[in-house]
Amino acid sequence: MPQETNGALRETAHDIHRYIGDNLYFSRPDLEVKGEKFNSALLLTLLTGLRQGKALIIGEPGLGKTTSAEYVCSLLYRVPLGTIWGSEVSGHPEQTEEKIIGRPDLGRLNQGEEVVVWSHFVLLPTKIVDEINRLPETKQSMILDGVDRGNWEYLNDSVINREYCLFATANYQDGGTNTIIAPLIDRFDIMVESKHPGPNLAFHIGMTGANGSGLRNEELERGLHRVLNQRGSYEDRMEQAEELCNQFGEALTRGPGVRTLSRSDRETIRSQMDEIPFDVDANAFLRLVLSELSFCYHYGQRRFHEGCADGCHFTSYLCHTVRNCISNRFPKSARALSQALAWFLGEEQVGLEHLRAILPFTLAHRIQWKEETMARREKESRQDPLPIYMAKEAVREMHRRYIEQAPQLKSALAAACKITDGEALEPTQGDHPIYWEIRRDLGEEVLDR
Amino acid sequence: MKNPFQDFRSVQYRKREIPLDRIVREKEETLELLVQGYLQLVEEEVRDLVWLVEESKVEKAYNAAIKRIDGSQYDPDDIDEFCALLDSSDKLPYLISGPAGIYISALVNCAREDHIVLSPKDYERSFHFLGYKLPEGKTLVLQGDVGDFAGSGLFGGRLIVEGSAGNWCGAGMMKGEIRVANNTGQNTGEWMRGGEIHVDGTIQSVGTKFYGNTGYRVLFGGKIYQKGKLLVPRALVKE
Repeated sequence: MPQETNGALRETAHDIHRYIGDNLYFSRPDLEVKGEKFNSALLLTLLTGLRQGKALIIGEPGLGKTTSAEYVCSLLYRVPLGTIWGSEVSGHPEQTEEKIIGRPDLGRLNQGEEVVVWSHFVLLPTKIVDEINRLPETKQSMILDGVDRGNWEYLNDSVINREYCLFATANYQDGGTNTIIAPLIDRFDIMVESKHPGPNLAFHIGMTGANGSGLRNEELERGLHRVLNQRGSYEDRMEQAEELCNQFGEALTRGPGVRTLSRSDRETIRSQMDEIPFDVDANAFLRLVLSELSFCYHYGQRRFHEGCADGCHFTSYLCHTVRNCISNRFPKSARALSQALAWFLGEEQVGLEHLRAILPFTLAHRIQWKEETMARREKESRQDPLPIYMAKEAVREMHRRYIEQAPQLKSALAAACKITDGEALEPTQGDHPIYWEIRRDLGEEVLDR
Repeated sequence: MKNPFQDFRSVQYRKREIPLDRIVREKEETLELLVQGYLQLVEEEVRDLVWLVEESKVEKAYNAAIKRIDGSQYDPDDIDEFCALLDSSDKLPYLISGPAGIYISALVNCAREDHIVLSPKDYERSFHFLGYKLPEGKTLVLQGDVGDFAGSGLFGGRLIVEGSAGNWCGAGMMKGEIRVANNTGQNTGEWMRGGEIHVDGTIQSVGTKFYGNTGYRVLFGGKIYQKGKLLVPRALVKE
């Protein structure tokens, strides 16, 4: 891809980010990466949207969780706001598969044909589940596969989305909320809080409003409604929908004056992101993080139902404070989002700083802390909800450990590479779990029996 | 299976070393250097088959030793280690007490430290010539008994023997001070040219030749004290 195209697409993404920040989602910056300040909710939802990811947006009611996701979806995917509203799934106890995914075409069923009428939620690439934690735990599993792979099944039919992103919002625990089940929450790439913008911006919101009316287009919304309700194939309907979406993109350029991205632009961006390599430090640091969150010397790996063995030596690492083992979706999320961040900042490599910025949000919802660890930290002074705060602290701690031993760790990994290639070297020994894991990978039995 | 570490193929591998490993390795390297220097010295000296104590021969061996250790970095602990190795190891086939002591003295005299303590009491063998040519500003403390020629040719330094010294203690010393906590052997202070020898125990005999061209005892050849009392040159003055 020529450099000019790369730059132009990035500029468009920056335009969208700027437009939302200036006109639609007023927020304070709370994240600094390489000297640039961002609002974490806005930046990360935008990157998630670009990356076809899944974001869980948490926060107090009325602080812009759903609307921020709607604006991002509308501008990134050129979908009018009204269409997005019509496709949203709201989490409530009476929610059914027929409302979320699809239902039988009753007319055709009377004629003996089994035809599925897919919901707009399933068909559109932009998916928003409002208040996901109001869905009972038993009903959350209905959307597991769809959330994970864009694969939706009903009766004997299925739709696999060719492009999609998903945003779910969740209020903090109250009487009407349920726990998000572990398999579902693990499928989210990031968790981010939509914070109160502060009294002055809130006053501004109250006075001028930020209703996103510029993102409405009733004519195109009607057109999209018609296309989505057709009985043709998924592919045909998406082709027609894309034409209308492109018209909406042109309208946005003419109206509010914001440039947007076509589907091929988004594909190009994703392939550009995929090509951004991790530098050696980011690579080694992510391995160190993974080792701390999965390692158990005594039982082989972390398991939710197993605690720590008495007298364990590794009490100063995170493995001692967490209950669960980190999943393989975590490194995928960390890679995808840090590549997206590096791309957004115009960097050629993913470095430590990109990874450090992204990691807390990819870990916050995936780490299940031991109760005593939570109890020890919950009263500490902080700016974030407890899970994100604890994840940030954990990343800070692990980063400190990495910096202390970066040369040794990189050398240990280099030695492991040579050993795997057949060279007769001794694996590097060290106290950190990563050194033990390297030795295990090299076939050394390091468990005491 | 894919090599999970291939991203680090271009990263330079450095053998990880804990600080203790590095210290031990450096100590071993230093010791090896000292041993090599000693073996080369012995190679040269052994050509003469019989090592005789002659001033010119001692001087030659000392200069050769100085040449061997020139530029070496070591500390008093290394000297002590070297002594222990000489005393016990099969690695050093030629332990000739004279050259060994001269080599140790050369190490002491060329060391950066001014105050050096060695423990001959820990060694089974006896080293001669310890404190040979000890220069001004240096103090050598020898814990335990030492062999012959301790402090010979002393050159302004301070030699403290916390035990007994053998024969010829302080022989030919130029200046400086030797203190012996216990006894000295025969010919103490032979050819002595200056400085003081203090012996708190008994002196088997003092040297018969002090510096001078008459072949007789003279007044300006240094002083020997026994239990705090001047022994020489008072006795010589009486003669």
